[in-house]
Amino acid sequence: MITRLRGLGQLTPGTRIGLAFVGFTVLVALLAPWLAPYDPVATDAENALAGASWSHWLGTDQYGRDILSRTIEGGRFALLVSLLATTTAVVVGTLIGSVAAYYGRWVDGAITRVLDAVLAVPSVLALLLIVSVFGNSVPVLVIAIAVVYVPAVARVVRGAARPVLASGYVTAAKARGERSLPIIGREVLPNILDTVLVEFAMRASWVVLLVSTLSFLGFGVNPPTPDWGLMIQENRTALTVAPAGTIAPIVALSLLVVGLNLAADGLGKHFGVDRARRGVL
Amino acid sequence: MLRMISTRVATSVVTLFLAAFFVFFAVQALPGDVAEQLLGQNATDEAVATLREQLGLDTNVWVRFVEWLGNAVTGDFGTSLVSGASVSSTLWTAFSHSLLIAVPAIVVGITVSLLLGILAGARRGTTTDSSVSVLSLIAMSIPEFVVATLLVLVLAIAIPVFPSVVLEGPDATFGDLLPAIVLPCITLVVAMGAYIIRAMRSSTIDGLATEYATTATLKGVPRRRVLWRHVAPTAVLPVLPVVSINVAWLLGGVVVVESVFNYPGLGKLMIDSVSTRDLPVLQAIAVLSAVVYVTVNLLADLLALAADPRQRTLHQPRRRRSSATPVPQEDIR
Amino acid sequence: MTPSIDRRTLLGGALGGIAAFGLAACGAPALSVPERAATGTARRGATLRIARPAASAAETLDPASSLSAYEYLGALYNRLVRLDREGETVPDLATDWSSNADATVWDFRLRSGVRFHDGQRLTARDVRYTFEHILDPDTASPQAGALSIVAGIDAVDETSVRFRLTTPNAEFPSLLTAYQCYVIPEDTADTIGRTGIGTGPFILESYTPAGAGAVRANEDYFDGRATLDRIEFYSIQDTSARVNALLSRQVDLLSQTNLDNPTARVVANSPGTTVARVANAQWYTIPMLATSEEFADPRMRQAMKLAYDPQAILSTALQGTGTAGWDNPVPPELAAHLDVQREYDPEKARSILKQIGREGFSTRIYTSAYEPNFTAIAVAFADQVKQAGIDLRITNVAADSYYTQVWMSEPLMVSYWFTGRPVDQLLNQIFRTGSSYNESAWSNPQFDQLLDAARADTNDATRRQKYQDAQQLVIDDGADLTPVFGDRLVGLSEDVVNYDEYGFEFDYLALGLKED
Repeated sequence: MITRLRGLGQLTPGTRIGLAFVGFTVLVALLAPWLAPYDPVATDAENALAGASWSHWLGTDQYGRDILSRTIEGGRFALLVSLLATTTAVVVGTLIGSVAAYYGRWVDGAITRVLDAVLAVPSVLALLLIVSVFGNSVPVLVIAIAVVYVPAVARVVRGAARPVLASGYVTAAKARGERSLPIIGREVLPNILDTVLVEFAMRASWVVLLVSTLSFLGFGVNPPTPDWGLMIQENRTALTVAPAGTIAPIVALSLLVVGLNLAADGLGKHFGVDRARRGVL
Repeated sequence: MLRMISTRVATSVVTLFLAAFFVFFAVQALPGDVAEQLLGQNATDEAVATLREQLGLDTNVWVRFVEWLGNAVTGDFGTSLVSGASVSSTLWTAFSHSLLIAVPAIVVGITVSLLLGILAGARRGTTTDSSVSVLSLIAMSIPEFVVATLLVLVLAIAIPVFPSVVLEGPDATFGDLLPAIVLPCITLVVAMGAYIIRAMRSSTIDGLATEYATTATLKGVPRRRVLWRHVAPTAVLPVLPVVSINVAWLLGGVVVVESVFNYPGLGKLMIDSVSTRDLPVLQAIAVLSAVVYVTVNLLADLLALAADPRQRTLHQPRRRRSSATPVPQEDIR
Repeated sequence: MTPSIDRRTLLGGALGGIAAFGLAACGAPALSVPERAATGTARRGATLRIARPAASAAETLDPASSLSAYEYLGALYNRLVRLDREGETVPDLATDWSSNADATVWDFRLRSGVRFHDGQRLTARDVRYTFEHILDPDTASPQAGALSIVAGIDAVDETSVRFRLTTPNAEFPSLLTAYQCYVIPEDTADTIGRTGIGTGPFILESYTPAGAGAVRANEDYFDGRATLDRIEFYSIQDTSARVNALLSRQVDLLSQTNLDNPTARVVANSPGTTVARVANAQWYTIPMLATSEEFADPRMRQAMKLAYDPQAILSTALQGTGTAGWDNPVPPELAAHLDVQREYDPEKARSILKQIGREGFSTRIYTSAYEPNFTAIAVAFADQVKQAGIDLRITNVAADSYYTQVWMSEPLMVSYWFTGRPVDQLLNQIFRTGSSYNESAWSNPQFDQLLDAARADTNDATRRQKYQDAQQLVIDDGADLTPVFGDRLVGLSEDVVNYDEYGFEFDYLALGLKED
């Protein structure tokens, strides 16, 4: 396992491209305030819906805001929420999954039933309701999305942890009289780290799509904050007269998601976790 | 065998009960006085009191849960807080409309994706394979609202072949809806196809690599025959969970697609009811979707059981759980 | 509902689409909207399709209700009186009216020979019943408040109705022009919501709340038969979906839909569709809740006004399609409009803030997709007041809960009304102390007294002066900002002729589809 992690240097071209896409998007988002040629929320009535020009490379939107600047800044919100939500979902899911696998028997049964039941409730309904009741602040979004993904992560981790628990190390550790949490932490987690990493990359790609979908439906970020999903929603009716306003955020969003998918595929292949097989959505 | 089936059915029922429990109590836990929120600012105290009574907010929460569950089992979800109509009739109309886009999307989507997956898997490393893989990767990465928006622009506005929205609303007849289902169906096929293609490709590659397939090839059985007669049928089995999740998602209402096309299905009902906080409708939608989810998964499992004789003998329930059987996961869209 | 396509429209559409894409390179052409919609000879036997936003799943054809399906009302019913473009009261079902000397008793004479769609003759009893229904607390009609000065209604004879008022009101007839005041047959309150039986130019054929419906021409309409044979109404909640329905030629007219500027450009430049303007139809307001800690101080409200230039809001948010409001809520069309431009001085605003210890004042301004220009106005306004060091954080709220959760409870938000209220109703309903529509909760006794004095004044000239003094008070002390009046940009098919709408008046009679 550890050697496999070290072997990350020899990745397939696909994975490298994927990681490069993700890295590029993250870098642009981090440096956005310095990269963006204009203030992404500054309006300019005289220049509304202008075409591409030297001063505005991608033109301007209906309020005369620079589309390039908005696209550059548009990933910050989605990336922040996605990173926090994915991390929370994966950490909590991993804990629940390992606990279920470790204790087995009725604890496992009960946890599995509860997870199944939560999975059965349409998550988009839960999300929309939570956001419409508690507002669309970042903490609410992060918690809501995490709640939605925890059961799925927990199930995958549980599946991966069970064979490990049947192994010699764990039996030995139990025989030494070690307590459950140290066993999970020291013996189980390192051995399922590959699964968890792939899970993280995979989930991240869906969470990014989900965040943009929420913005598109009007349940995400508030205007005038630049955000890809919101930009697509705001500019799509003007697609024929000012296509850059819609197409630029689509390209940016797809670049990130393709990157995450390629990275997840590559990591999966590298670790021998067959993502496509297992990877329902 | 029979015992396995009955255990599986029993767990499904428990899961459903738990889901209904969560739905009911999650809704109760929403902050604020539901009655006041529904009636808005200018509501008189009397109106609030009447609505509270009507909602039964004054009785014990457990009593209400039992009553609600009892009625729900018989298909009675009460009346909508907004329109005053029966929730079940609203729900069934919307569900039948959703079926109208889901069923063709499922049939076309599954057939095409399985075939493409097998094709790509069998021609691993060729241009066919890489184009299928790249296309499905892109399909996975573009949000469906983008696909839907582009389809409307091209096939409804620039070249007006299909209607861009459904005009008739909940009263739409089958004939009204028929031309309007094409664009939503295409969007859904694109959205679900990618995942099935990838799973099928991977499974086919594994299938072709088995001893059994290699032996058959060595024995001189034509490769085409090995693929379609021997490998493909078995390779479909591990893909079933992927398929079932997508089917459950499609049947459970597709919010984005239905709202872009103004399609009067379950997803549209869901987003409308969220906006108006029509709690009885929301609870009913949640329960119906849970039923669909659990049923489809159950069917997929039983199908796998029926199709693969090995599972009946080899896989004891205990082993099955611990094995690396594909784990169904959900997606939120 | 497949749109029928022949080869020509198919090609034309495709070319139009490509041409539209081509525009992208050089930027969008500026919006040019003709002042008046196309007029011309309409063809006989046409059916017009209108897409509209439904009021609610519980909407009804009862005109008195707050959930009435607005688009049907003007087609199905008539009022006693309507408003002309200048805001003056003119005849509809009533031919003439007069009051006693102190304007406490009003007599209306009805047009004779008018019949309801079910063949019943219109009488004074129907009119009395209509207004009793509006005033019935169970109806909860939005117009009940404005009409609460009615003490009693008498059907004097078949064609004479008398309104007895509790207080003098020289402007009383104008209160009967509201769209809740459509006349319904006697004793039909329980059924009118579905039957839609009125005296109007169209007869109801079918109707589903929040769904589809249709009306057909009333052959016996007292003012002549309508040009169209039928009108089909479709409800589409989502604005983009409604616009798409027009662009894909599934409907001919978008009702109650104000297109935002880019969408209007798309519609104007797409083949077969165009944009008409209803001048100053949208009265945008930014109510500062006078009961809130933030805006209780009149000096704070004064600073907010001084800090922004309405002209800038007009050009940024509405790209110039409308009129700057300068915080006077009375639209420029109305004869009683007071034409003054208040001071604009961000530096002075800054110093006032300093004086009251509110330097760098910061709060939220709420907006929503409820109306397409809200967010644009919030963005432009926040941008403007920055000059005075005021920091407004824009907060977007779901459209459906906007008017139940935010309106009249958050200190600062963007709101709007349709213009079309007569001046007396406008000032009384939205600015008088304690009125249920007083969205800023502003209260000024001097203003209330002025309104009372105006109502008691039967001299037209001095009464108008009082309404203008009241406007000056709103401008100086009021808590409701009126940055702009926006033109409503209405999307319609190029085939539609004689479309004419202002305020709450819509001409269903002349409306038609062009001859081929």
